[in-house]
Amino acid sequence: MITLSNIEKVYQTKSIETVALQHVNLRVPKGEFLSIMGPSGCGKSTLLNIMGLLDVPSQGVVEIDGQAITSYKDKELAHIRNEKIGFVFQSYHLVNDLSVLDNVELPLLYRSSVSASDRTKLAKTALEKVGLSARTKHFPAQLSGGQRQRVAIARALIGQPQIILADEPTGNLDSVMGEEIMNILLDLNRQDGTTIVMVTHDENMAQKTERLVRFFDGQQVSDAKVFANNLQQV
Amino acid sequence: MIRHLFKLIWNRKKSNFLLITEIFFCFLVLFGVLSLVTYNVRNYTKPLGFEHEDVWLVTMRPSTDSTAENRQQLEQVLQRVQAFPEVQHVSLTSSNAPFAFSQMMDNLSYGNVKDVQTDVYDVQDDYADVMQLEVSEGRWFGPQDDASHHRPIVINKLLKEKLFGQEEAVGKLIPISDTSNYVVVGVTDYFRASSEFAAESPALFNRINMQKKPDFFWNELLVRVKPGTGVAFEEKMVRQITSIGKNWTVEVSTLEKMRQNKAKLTLAPMIALGFICGFLILNVALGLFGVLWHNISRRNGEIGLRRALGAASSQIYWQFIGEVLVLATFGLLLGVFFAVQFPLLQVFQIESEVYFIALLSAVGIIYLLTAVCAFYPSRQAAGIHPAMALHEE
Ligand SMILES: Nc1ncnc2c1ncn2[C@@H]1O[C@H](COP(=O)(O)OP(=O)(O)OP(=O)(O)O)[C@@H](O)[C@H]1O
Ligand SMILES: [Mg+2]
Repeated sequence: MITLSNIEKVYQTKSIETVALQHVNLRVPKGEFLSIMGPSGCGKSTLLNIMGLLDVPSQGVVEIDGQAITSYKDKELAHIRNEKIGFVFQSYHLVNDLSVLDNVELPLLYRSSVSASDRTKLAKTALEKVGLSARTKHFPAQLSGGQRQRVAIARALIGQPQIILADEPTGNLDSVMGEEIMNILLDLNRQDGTTIVMVTHDENMAQKTERLVRFFDGQQVSDAKVFANNLQQV
Repeated sequence: MIRHLFKLIWNRKKSNFLLITEIFFCFLVLFGVLSLVTYNVRNYTKPLGFEHEDVWLVTMRPSTDSTAENRQQLEQVLQRVQAFPEVQHVSLTSSNAPFAFSQMMDNLSYGNVKDVQTDVYDVQDDYADVMQLEVSEGRWFGPQDDASHHRPIVINKLLKEKLFGQEEAVGKLIPISDTSNYVVVGVTDYFRASSEFAAESPALFNRINMQKKPDFFWNELLVRVKPGTGVAFEEKMVRQITSIGKNWTVEVSTLEKMRQNKAKLTLAPMIALGFICGFLILNVALGLFGVLWHNISRRNGEIGLRRALGAASSQIYWQFIGEVLVLATFGLLLGVFFAVQFPLLQVFQIESEVYFIALLSAVGIIYLLTAVCAFYPSRQAAGIHPAMALHEE
């Protein structure tokens, strides 16, 4: 569960001050699949970064699992990110010099309790889940965009996080590949109960999730349950 | 984590190739220079086996060809020099006086031991007193050897070991020709006269018996003077010598001056090499620093990603330091492979220990150098804001 209370984010550069987020109050219950939409520059990525503890709000409190994240040290934040949060990005962010398998193993590298052989085992299982068992030795450059994003999802889920934060995961993909990725995320949400917060520009994708929050100019402008499901749209 | 770093560097070997070769060459040069320095320093710290302070070398060059006359004058000169109250001991010597730029070699065989190369020093009975040599076995030669059938010699321990191994040396006969032999009358512990920085080599002191060589002229005379004897006496002595040998050219040098000259011969190239080596290292360091710096800005996205996946800032720092050390390890592995060939193949006649000291120091210096170069870029990488880094891609 994620709770954002009265979040404000102001970027202060030498000459200009950008208000990226303002009065954001948002509760994401455990197991929810939430999508966030809004025009470019409205603060969606900023919001996700704050939820993911990659950035600190200028004001307000972030709670994860009922725990307020205030005055945490860098190491503790890193630990929470590692244990509880998985990230998926629009541009995949795979390490080009590592094989698919090594890329997927990355989060466990920062978890001292997992042995090397367990890492490999878990990475293979994660890759199976996204249907890429046959590509473990490939390098990112040898994969299609959709395959890359599947690797990134395998990487996000290998540590079995409670929360996955996806910033436009289908943004660089055509509709067919986007659909594939979306289905994997939906499965994760339904089968494993993973809480997912997804930023998207695609209305169709958003319609497949449970709840849609719209942003405009750093502010929340609407918050609605999605009732239409795939079957009804067809 | 270390395995991960090795993988990362290995997969990037193409782009790291230049850095690895740079480290490799830097290591080899460093290894070479350090071997030389270690060799010289180790020799320098060993005893010379003699006292060179207050010893002067008088060089006499007659201009006439009349050997009989020259020889007669030489004997007079010897008596005159010995008579000075400032002079303690005097010995004629072959041209290879300590620290002189001259060498006399001979090959000796004894029993099954064939062709042991040794320095040969022709000297008089007083030489041991002039140079204050310690005779550890037997004795120095003296007038009692006049009647000997054999040529009396004193050898150093090194030559003794080469010729006789663990056996007693005193009394042993070493053949010179079919009809004549050396007889060993004594052994000195140590004698290292060519340079302070040179290793000891086998030495043989051959007794000068003036009666047996009535036509011979020795050009060099070693004189031990009383401590504190100065230039005034030098002038006086030269005047006295030239009053006997009217047309002689006489030069006096102190062994101290000769030692300094000999030392310069080793030190000058060492200092030059040191400069070149330092310059090279500086170059490699700057190159390394530049590449690392560039790498970190290129890898912004990766840094942001790792932070997002759970790496603390300090882990990023150590990753980058670690990567550089792994990179250095690749270069060093290659370098050490070549470096160990020197002691293994005994390319030069140098103890293996010298190479190993140089090798370890070179490895240490390279690791230190790379770590120092990596320090600042790595800190920079650790300070990168994760959200910002992910945003930039
Ligand atoms: N590091 C930063 N420094 C200054 N301003 C920033 C920074 N990051 C974001 N901003 C500003 O904050 C605002 C929100 O940016 P954000 O990236 O959250 O938008 P977004 O909704 O994700 O847009 P897009 O859909 O294009 O990804 C923008 O006006 C942006 O210029
Ligand atoms: Mg964005």
